[in-house]
Parts: sequence; structure tokens; C-alpha cells
Amino acid sequence: MKEQDSIATGKVERSAKFVKTGIKVGGNYLKHYTKKLFDADLTKDQLNQDNAEDIYESLSELKGSALKVAQMLSMDKSIMPKAYVDQFSKSQYNAPPLSGPLIVRTFSKYFGKTPDKIFDTFDIKSSNAASIGQVHRATKDGKNLAIKIQYPGVAESISSDLKLVKPFAFRLLGMSEKELDIYMKEVEQKMVEETDYILEVQQSKKFAEACQSLKNVVFPAYYPELSSPRIITMDWVEGLHLKEWLATNPTQEQRNTIGQALWDFYNFQMHTLKEVHADPHPGNFIITPDCKLGVLDFGCVKALPMDFYTPYFSLIIGDTLNDKAKTIQCFRELEMILDKDDAQAIDFYYNWYQKMIRLFAQPYINSSFDFSNKQFMQELYTFGEQLTKMPEFKQARGVKHFIYVNRTNFGLYAILSELDAQILTNQYANA
Amino acid sequence: MPNIEQKEKIRAAYIDYVLTHGERPATVYVFMKELGIAEEDFYIHFSTFDSVDASAWRVSFNHTLEAITTQDVFAGYSSREKILAFYFGLVEHLKTNRSYVTWCFKSTSKLQFNNPPYLTDFKKMFEDFANEVIQQGISSGEIIDRKLISDKYKDALWVQLVFIIHFWIDDNSTEFEKTDEAIEKGVNITFDLMAQSPLDSMVEYGKFLWRNVAFKK
Repeated sequence: MKEQDSIATGKVERSAKFVKTGIKVGGNYLKHYTKKLFDADLTKDQLNQDNAEDIYESLSELKGSALKVAQMLSMDKSIMPKAYVDQFSKSQYNAPPLSGPLIVRTFSKYFGKTPDKIFDTFDIKSSNAASIGQVHRATKDGKNLAIKIQYPGVAESISSDLKLVKPFAFRLLGMSEKELDIYMKEVEQKMVEETDYILEVQQSKKFAEACQSLKNVVFPAYYPELSSPRIITMDWVEGLHLKEWLATNPTQEQRNTIGQALWDFYNFQMHTLKEVHADPHPGNFIITPDCKLGVLDFGCVKALPMDFYTPYFSLIIGDTLNDKAKTIQCFRELEMILDKDDAQAIDFYYNWYQKMIRLFAQPYINSSFDFSNKQFMQELYTFGEQLTKMPEFKQARGVKHFIYVNRTNFGLYAILSELDAQILTNQYANA
Repeated sequence: MPNIEQKEKIRAAYIDYVLTHGERPATVYVFMKELGIAEEDFYIHFSTFDSVDASAWRVSFNHTLEAITTQDVFAGYSSREKILAFYFGLVEHLKTNRSYVTWCFKSTSKLQFNNPPYLTDFKKMFEDFANEVIQQGISSGEIIDRKLISDKYKDALWVQLVFIIHFWIDDNSTEFEKTDEAIEKGVNITFDLMAQSPLDSMVEYGKFLWRNVAFKK
């Protein structure tokens, strides 16, 4: 892969990229409508495909937080047309690396030593990208290490980046600026947190300790003394990424083991820790040779406050849904139904939201659930797409916590479905 | 006292003086008297204060070059990376003498912007280094050899170096992160321009047409 030595960090430079994309997207619409003149049956699929490619191209050149946004949007498949999703999923792997001298420079800045002096061996070519950084292999004292290095200027460029992404988000999600603002703020805050590598090391250690008792889940050891605000040193987790692992044709039993580990891990976090690893994209998991789930990257942790946790889960695992008045009360607490709504609107939203939650809570209804049932995921996507097409849902609803919780849940479901795993869904309590 | 040590001592005392007083000592005589060494000893090592400055910068160059070439990875670097490594190494090294560097640059008149006297030797040394790297790039195909223009490549890299130091002096970001970005982006542009470009193909094509089409009329 060609090395890309810089991220376009200056606002002007980045704006230029986005303007270029804007023009291309505009061109795609033009192309679409010209074609449509001659072919009335043309669907928007080709258009969506063209747009997604152009947007992806621009985002991946920008790297940094823009790439993160791409990843984020791609996790929320329910609100994205399929073409966007396919393109954005690409961004979860491989972004081009930064130059060797800058890596050396980053080390000497924080440790006063070059990497070859700190480690026994250090591979100057990065082994993979981590959206706001890149990962290098190293060894020290007989241990295989993974070194994550952050691109310079990422932290500073986040808010200016998000401003640039906004118009695209409006177009993609069909929301107004004011409505989107509260979510953008949440995203911005989380992203700034993610650039704090010292915090990430602390969080990683905390989670690894708290989740010790979980079966088949492993965490790398972290080395705070070899970490800095821009560098994280941890053990190299031997194993394969999800896609690679699936390519080796694991048995159903192995798939179930990994799926169950993932399920237990997430439910333990949500219900016991009330804090979750909110970045469940496939790149953050490694399947070890002895068939255990290795979890990486605790840069993005979402805490679930009780005033969100209680109504949310009473809908999903409780029996609240059988009681209309109680359900509406929960919807109000979660701001899915607003005070300004009249009786008709309340009825409308009640109806659709309870349908959505029933669908979403399906895995919890019985003690086990088979994620190889593709119909379930398809129904989820179709339902999501149906909602986005309804004018009543153009307006953003729901408290800000939904954005990361939804992303986490959909990410989890998507991975389990890719695993075709059969899961004991009531087991988290015994973990 | 061995000569090298004395030279070091004079240079250090001079830099200290400049930083404390914000200007050069009035005369060599006064300066050496304060130092408690005979004035004539100054002339064994230096001719003027200008030459003390120049020698301080020579030391910086040697230090930087040594720091980067002793890294294991250096030999495997492309030309682009070698220049990057030098710029990064230089700002890393200059950090230990930031006040002095600032003083040097601030006391330079605008006329001498790219070629202040204290940088004369430093510039020559850098150009030698740059030429070597450029030659390596040309033979590996990373850089394209252009008539008349190839000789100017090293000048472009020099202007870039001076620009970077100016940028660094005014940089107030944490850990000078902005300077790092300025270096990466700037070097990319320079090397992109030195690489084969559509313009080269156009010139080639133009030459071909001139010889084969226009000529026949």
C-alpha cells in the first residue's frame, strides 16, 4: 500500500476535499436524474452506490476523525441504505500509514529515545490502521507487543472536522442542523476522549480487570510506562480478525463459543458495569488460536446513566411493553415521545416505537436465539429503512445516549449474525 | 586546557551571554575578560562573533545528522523519508536551544532571510547532505532528473528548512505538533513536485511534436 504521509489537517485543505466530494455527489444526482429521464424504472440504488463511493474516497483520504465518522455511520446500518453500508464497511480496515521519520519523532518526543532504543525490535512499517492512529509490531524482553501511535493533529482537528461532516450527515440522515446538534456534541465529546491515550490505557486496564471472570474473553496487558498521550504499548494478541477467521471455516461449535463470549461480554458490561466498549466493529476483535475472543481498543467507552438504563432495559428485557401506559411513560423518559406531541402523535409514535423495540428485543424473548436466521437482520434493516422514509421520523428523537447504545447494539447483532452463532441469551446473569 | 574543551567553553559562554543580555558582547576583549581567558585564545578558535554563531550551527548540523544516521531504520529510508528524518531530527535537537535559535532568527534582518551569516556553513553542509539524498532519489527513480531544474532541488529543500525553523519559532501548539504537520505536508509537496508529473510528460510530448510535426512544414 502506498504510504500517505500526511492527513489533510488544515481546515482549508479539508474543506477543499469535502467541496470536491460535494461536487461529485451533486454530479451523481445529476447523472441519476438524467438517466431517469430515459429510464423511469431506475431505482436510487445506483445513485446511493455512486455517492457512497465518492464520500468514502474523500473520507479515507482525510483519515482522522472523518474516518471515524464513516465507521460510525457504517455501524448504524439500520438507518443507512445498503450501498452506503457496503462502502463504509471498507473504512473499517486499512487506511494508509504515516511516514517512518514521524513515528521516530513521536517516540523521541515523548520518551527521549527512538523506538529501536526502547524496544528490542520495532517494525517501522505499520501492520494496520486504527482510524486515528496506526499499529506497529515490536518485541521487548521476549514479549510480542503492539504499539499504537496516534496521528498528530487529530485531537485538534476533530471539531473542525465534524463541522465539515455535518452537511453530509444532514443529507444522509435527512435531519436539520438544530436536531442533529445534540448528537454531534455527544459524538464530538466521545471522539475527543478517544484521542486521549492515557485515558484509554486506564480504561483498558479497568475493563480487563472487571471482566476477568468472563469465560473465553481475553485482554492484552497494557504497559503504562511505555505509553504516552500519543502512544499505547500493549501485548500483541495472536490470532485472526473476524473476517479472516470466518474464512478458515470454523465449526458451528466454535462460532457459538465466540458468539457467546461476545454476548456475555456485552451484557456483563451493560448490566453489571453500566459502561460499555462502544466500538464493536469487527477490527476491534481478535480470535485467538485457542478459540477465545480477544478484545482491543477501549478508547470509546459509553457510560449508561440510570435514568437511561432503567427505562431502556425495562422495555427490552422487562414486560413493560405489555402495558401501554407504562410503555408511553418510558418513551417519554427517553424523549422518544415529546411533551409537545398531541394525542394522535403519541399514538403514532407509540405504535411504531413499540414495533421497533419488539423486533429489536427478539433475541431476548426466549432463552436462546439463532443469529444465523438472516431474516431477523433483514427485518431490522428493512424496518429501519422504512422508518427513515417516513416524514415523521425525519425529526430526531430520543436522548443523546441512543447514538452510542444503538451503535453498540447493532454492531453486536451484526457481528453475531456474521458469525451465524446460536446464543444462550439469558446467560449473562450467570457470567 | 585542551583546545577542544576551551572552544566548547567559549562557545557556551558566548551563547549564555547572548541569552542573558539579549545581545552580543560589546567586544571580544570584554567578553574574554569576563570569561577569565586571554583574548588571543579566542582567535585560536574563532575570528569574530559571527564565526562563533556559525560554529554553534555547525554543531547542530552534525548532531542532527549523527542522531538520524545512527538509527537502524535510516539506511532503509527513501529520499523523502531521509529529508523528513533530517527536519524532524533538527527541530528535535533545536528544542534544547530554542531561545538561542529564536534570538538568532529574530536578530536577522529581512534581507538576509534565507541566508543569514551564521547559517553559511550550516547551509553548505545541508546542501551536501541534500544533494546526496537527491542523487539517491534520482537513481532510484523517486526523483526525476530535469535539465537545469535538478540543480535547484537542493535550494528548494533549503528554503523549506528555513521556513520550518521560522514556523517552529512561532509554533505554540502542545509539543510543537503543528510543526510536525508542517514538516510532513511540506516535504510531501516538495517531493511530489520532484517526482515524475504530468507536466514532464507534456514537455516530452511537446518536444516530440516539435521535432516531428512542426518541423516538417
